[in-house]
Amino acid sequence: MTRMLVRRLLAGLLTIACIYAITFTMVVSIPGNPFQQGQHRLSSDVESALLARYHMDNNWLYFWEFLRGAVRLDFGPTFTYADWTCNQIIAASLPISMSIGLAAMLIALMVGVPIGVTSAVRRHSWLDISATTLILTGISLPTFVTGSALLIAVGVKLQLAPVGGWGTLSHLPLPAITLSLPFMAYIVRLTRAGMIDALSADFVRTAIAKGASRQRVIWRHALPVALLPVLSFLGPATAQAVTGSFVVEKVFGIPGMGQHFVNAALNRDPGLLLGAVLVFSTLLVAFNIVVDLLYAALDPRISEAL
Amino acid sequence: MVRTLSPLITLLIIGGICWVSLGGQESPADLTYANPQGIHTLDPARMSWTSDFRVALNLWEGLTTWNPEDLTPTPGVANLPPAVSQDGLTYTFTLRPDARWSNGDPVTSADFVRGWRRGMEPGTGMDYTFFLTDHIVGAASYASWRREAVSRLVPMSRLAREWEIDTNQRRLLEDTFGTEERDWPRTHQDALQRHASLIDERFNRVGIAAPNAHTLVVRLVAPCPYLLDLLAMPIFLPIHESIERLRSRTNDLPITEQGLVTYDPQWTKPDYHAHGYGGLVTNGAYRLAGWHFKRRLRLTANPYFHSAASVQCQTVDMVVHENVSASIMAYERGAIDFLPSMSVPYDHEIAKLAQTGARPDFVLTNVLATYFLNFNCVSETVGGVPNPFLDRRVRKAFALAIDKAQIVQRVLGRGDRTAGSFVPPGVIPGYEPPPGLGHDANAARALLAEAGYPNGEGLPMIDLLYTPNDSRIVQALAHMWGVTLGATFNLRGKESRTLADDKINRRFMIARGNWYADYNDPTTFLNCLLTGNGNNDSGYANDAYDTILAAANAPRDTAKRAALLRRAETIIVEDDLPILPILFYREPIALSPRVHGLFPNARMWFPFRYVTVTP
Repeated sequence: MTRMLVRRLLAGLLTIACIYAITFTMVVSIPGNPFQQGQHRLSSDVESALLARYHMDNNWLYFWEFLRGAVRLDFGPTFTYADWTCNQIIAASLPISMSIGLAAMLIALMVGVPIGVTSAVRRHSWLDISATTLILTGISLPTFVTGSALLIAVGVKLQLAPVGGWGTLSHLPLPAITLSLPFMAYIVRLTRAGMIDALSADFVRTAIAKGASRQRVIWRHALPVALLPVLSFLGPATAQAVTGSFVVEKVFGIPGMGQHFVNAALNRDPGLLLGAVLVFSTLLVAFNIVVDLLYAALDPRISEAL
Repeated sequence: MVRTLSPLITLLIIGGICWVSLGGQESPADLTYANPQGIHTLDPARMSWTSDFRVALNLWEGLTTWNPEDLTPTPGVANLPPAVSQDGLTYTFTLRPDARWSNGDPVTSADFVRGWRRGMEPGTGMDYTFFLTDHIVGAASYASWRREAVSRLVPMSRLAREWEIDTNQRRLLEDTFGTEERDWPRTHQDALQRHASLIDERFNRVGIAAPNAHTLVVRLVAPCPYLLDLLAMPIFLPIHESIERLRSRTNDLPITEQGLVTYDPQWTKPDYHAHGYGGLVTNGAYRLAGWHFKRRLRLTANPYFHSAASVQCQTVDMVVHENVSASIMAYERGAIDFLPSMSVPYDHEIAKLAQTGARPDFVLTNVLATYFLNFNCVSETVGGVPNPFLDRRVRKAFALAIDKAQIVQRVLGRGDRTAGSFVPPGVIPGYEPPPGLGHDANAARALLAEAGYPNGEGLPMIDLLYTPNDSRIVQALAHMWGVTLGATFNLRGKESRTLADDKINRRFMIARGNWYADYNDPTTFLNCLLTGNGNNDSGYANDAYDTILAAANAPRDTAKRAALLRRAETIIVEDDLPILPILFYREPIALSPRVHGLFPNARMWFPFRYVTVTP
């Protein structure tokens, strides 16, 4: 188990290093000038003074300097928002994205798993059919459609929630529900498929034969095994949800990470972009490792193999 | 197993939600307005966006300010009119004695010198540094002396740390020191010390002087009829002396090891207290009470402001809504009182509501801005293909061939005005631009034939560069040119920064462009087309044009000056056509009927000190 953890951690570090190198190469090679703000072209000597100020006149040096800072969790200045450091921006926006992402995952799990189990147990019933319809709708409808619809219905017509923005708990439900829908759809589908497999497995038949109750067989014996695919989906999905969805943040006007990530790319803001990529990839790697550990905990066969 | 999972997840959720609730909601402000982008910077030396200007000019007050109704310069910290010398080159401003900073300190002329000096410093001053260096005696040579010093100190500081330098930097150092090996840490330290000891003396040669606390003397390179208008801009704002506490130092020298004059960028925060700094101090009608990145920025009335008694609106919130549609919904619900920007994909619907009077709270405002196309006037070939637009007859034919009214009314329908000239008419007092060229398909075809392309035969595939926002306009234009002139197009839609790169490197035959006036004078537009100007994307170069514009600087007779400027603009919009003006923007704003004293104007300048809000 420990060996596996160490191996996974090392592999994770290597992955992050590769992502950094590739992103850096892309950042310095895309056309466009990070110091260009409004309509004026900067004269070349003003620009060279700025490049010198931010140690960006030499790419190789900037590569190491940024990395040295990043290791100490200091992503340096940002040019688009000169009054803020990348750290301040990430510290202000990551918690917002995390709250929405975690709330969305909780909603997706709490609603998705029971629906998935029920539709597997009562296959082809009206419940199964309506659940399948929900899945299809959830997967097919983009979040900017569901988000805008929720905003108009709940925010403007019913006036039950604020129309976008951020600040209080009342700002949380609408974006969280919007963000949860596509994840929920996947969870229902994975749970249903996993459950159908599990219900026909030998150990379930044994459990029934030993006289376990129907509820106990479903929830105690079959579900943990049925949830394995859900779990492996959950790792990357949670990482994706907590690092912010650009679309959901845009629709609801939420100052989260996803927005800064996309804007940093559009603004050619190397510090913020690299910082966001590093945070995102670290979370992604971390969640995958956590999922692997949970996997082992859920399925005795795997933990034995480790 | 589920049991082990669920507490973990729940725990994470609770942690996350706790983080969120940290934000909390403040009590609503007297006036709330939305801004889609947030604030880029509050440093007056660096700012470039109208939305940043709007906040800065409510926080600070320059020597002059603009009347919000007619945009004429009105007294700010200085009494008007200033004493002007016979030759129009020396302005002596007297500051009002009751001008105060938000901590109660008096506003002095030294504060203005400090602010203006920052604007000239390399690495600090950005887009509007040219306002200082173009007009003030000695400012340009001070700035270039500083920049040159920095360009040497940068590689020296590298070598002092045993870091690599590139070949250009090495060559620069070899010019000064020769090729022999040196003790670089020592050399760098000496050079830094020498430079630091000269800075103040060099700056004293710049034509800004503060003979006493309430007098500021400015000496100009050439007469500038619009100086009082310029002086209201953020780059000319005063800066409080407490910023000096946050100045970067190297070994007791007041400059960085690269020779730069920099300050801790956190100085614009109201709650930043490192090194005994008391937080941002400003001298305008408002002070900064809070700034949450990309969420909310709060202004509260400055009790020390000279006209504080007349300020009714005590608190103003700027909330950030990246999604303009959401901000419109919030406006409809009454959570927002004022929308200075309503640029949405359905802007034509908004324009219709405003024009029919169905929504009197939606106001269409003529802004001082022009949308135009650049013709590439310099490149022999573009992408290996001969560039037909070197011939001005071709440019003129393309200008005559299009029906701008169709584009403005049928294609866009957002209420813009068609543009014949570069300068919008009827906004700048005392200047009426030439009418420009109309729509004349036959003349266009004749000119094109005369240029050697009868019915468009022989014209290469024309490379047209635009941003996704322009696609409707560009498709309509390409269609008109196709039908009238037989031209064919390679339409290249690009994201704006990539587009800017292509424009600088002249990888286009026709490229979109727009220009927002920086000040209330035709030269803010016309200077863009001077030979070698950084914003001259078409690469236009015409000595006659440059000469007329230079001549227009001299006369103090405004009518004579206007005539000269008009002659210059006629060359642009009727003879040479380096650019093809398409339309003058008209932008919608939404203003709640509760709000009084906010005047829609051509520069989107909204001082909140005149605002009253009825409950």
